Amino acid sequence: MSQPVAEPKVAVNINEDYCSRCTICGSLCPYDAITKDHENNIMVLDIEKCQVCGICYSACPAKAIDTIYYSSSSLMKYLEKARPRYKSDNLVIMCKGSAPDFAGVGKLFGVKDFIPLSVPCVGRISEDLLLGVLADGIKKIDILACDEDYCRFHRGSPLTGRRVIALNRLLEQLGYGPEAITLKRNSLKVTVDKDLCIACGNCVFYCPYNAPTLTSAGGISFDLDACRGCGLCVALCPAFALDLDNWERDRISNLIPQMLAEMKPPKILVFRCQWAVYPPLNGDMGPNIGTIELPCAGRIEAFHILEAIQSGADGVMVVACSEDDCKQEKVSAKAEHVVANIKAKLDQIGLGDKLNFASVSPRYPGQVEEKVREFRQSLKGAKKGIKKGEDK
Amino acid sequence: MIVTTLKPLDEILESIFPYRKILIAGCDGCTQPPRGIREAKTLKQLLELAGQLKGKEFEFKVTSVVKQCDSVLTVSAIKPYVEDVEAVLSLACGAGPQTVAKFFPDLPVLPAQNSNFIGIDDRQEGQMFDSCSACGDCILALTGGICPVTRCSKGLLNGACGGASNGKCELDPERDCAWELIYERLRRLGKLDLIKKFTPAKDYSASGWMVTP
Repeated sequence: MSQPVAEPKVAVNINEDYCSRCTICGSLCPYDAITKDHENNIMVLDIEKCQVCGICYSACPAKAIDTIYYSSSSLMKYLEKARPRYKSDNLVIMCKGSAPDFAGVGKLFGVKDFIPLSVPCVGRISEDLLLGVLADGIKKIDILACDEDYCRFHRGSPLTGRRVIALNRLLEQLGYGPEAITLKRNSLKVTVDKDLCIACGNCVFYCPYNAPTLTSAGGISFDLDACRGCGLCVALCPAFALDLDNWERDRISNLIPQMLAEMKPPKILVFRCQWAVYPPLNGDMGPNIGTIELPCAGRIEAFHILEAIQSGADGVMVVACSEDDCKQEKVSAKAEHVVANIKAKLDQIGLGDKLNFASVSPRYPGQVEEKVREFRQSLKGAKKGIKKGEDK
Repeated sequence: MIVTTLKPLDEILESIFPYRKILIAGCDGCTQPPRGIREAKTLKQLLELAGQLKGKEFEFKVTSVVKQCDSVLTVSAIKPYVEDVEAVLSLACGAGPQTVAKFFPDLPVLPAQNSNFIGIDDRQEGQMFDSCSACGDCILALTGGICPVTRCSKGLLNGACGGASNGKCELDPERDCAWELIYERLRRLGKLDLIKKFTPAKDYSASGWMVTP
């Protein structure tokens, strides 16, 4: 007998009552997820195709599209709290995909004190939000978008470029000066230490974008225009000859014990692809869960997983997009392979239960929490803890 | 390159158990997958964890040698550690530990790898294939670049034996018949006359045990 199944809650919804059927959303969606049903004269969202970039949300002239992530009202609320905290009237909105750490972002814009706002794709920021922020007393807005061909959602960065030009013209007429909103673009890419290269060719084989070429030992070179910053080559280089801007091996290595020291047992450290999980603003997942963001699950290194376990993590999770949702060329599938590989070795010493891989999508809010909960339950069942001399 | 597989961790652990201070030495040379510094560090982490579970605290150092089969490179890479370690755990093929054994007569050396064969790494298929037996008397010129000594189950120098069915070997239905591959390849190259050329019994002593370059 079939049970009635509750429709899973999804991250984006079209409100038919407000929708004027203008089809702007459908024309801007990079994934053809929104189409017009001519028969019923409604706009239909295919949530399975939706990648939750938020471009439709920011573009809808009728405000008929709702999103549970970073809506304009939640961003205004965030600003209200953040302004006194950061003691600044300068707002810097950055896309996670291309933003270095906050200090690096400040350097890019030549500012020291600012209110940081990190979002997955600046394409989700609407014109009226920017105007509202200025009307609220913010003196300056800086926007860091991805280089246009680096944009994970293809259209988010170009669209933001057009918006900023149009808004600046408007603002100039209103007496705000010629550049009330500044836009910069950036990409985070691979870096190479040729002295360490052993000419094994791993990067040449694994790179989905044919960025590296290898001619001899130390003869490795990367076409940085082709590099999309997934970090897969970095994670798989047997000689530690590669690194990735902002996701340097050492930076992640330093973060691991730091985070674990602040957590309460049972400690679960989650390495998550920044496109698989959109955390709430200022949100954390409680005292037992620590999260480290990755540019793509492909950046996960066995080395870091083991480091986490050695630093006292009771469980380590790697959270990725599904192969089909991967913003890179199916790199998440390779990440799963890397995790399975090290899990097999951990199994040999009885610690395999401590490692878990899950694929989730931000289109289903709460999915990651559910996966973490399941993993936590499974850890309760697992017996061995790491204590010195336990078996003696 | 030399294709190797990591030994079961239990076996490695048992072999290193009598020692506390151990140098894990990777090899950047031809081991495939590469067993360089990353592999050495990962193994260090795994063995530390495994040791803790058994109440044993190891003190590992890690390094990687450009080519562990080269005496000069190996000696210069290992020497700085000799005073500090009780044993070397080698990630190289079988030649690596033997290089260490030869030039460090008082230092125990243990293999972390099983050496499988000299092989082709087919990246697309994600598999590696045995392809050279180092017989010392190469006949690939006659066999279209496909080695029957290695790839024919019977090692026939003049094939095919007639036992294959559907291109697979009668001894192992998973395995391609090397002589059928040779025939197809020679046909493609327009060199089928080569298959009629008789190859006399091989002088395996040519493989030898020592070569002076």
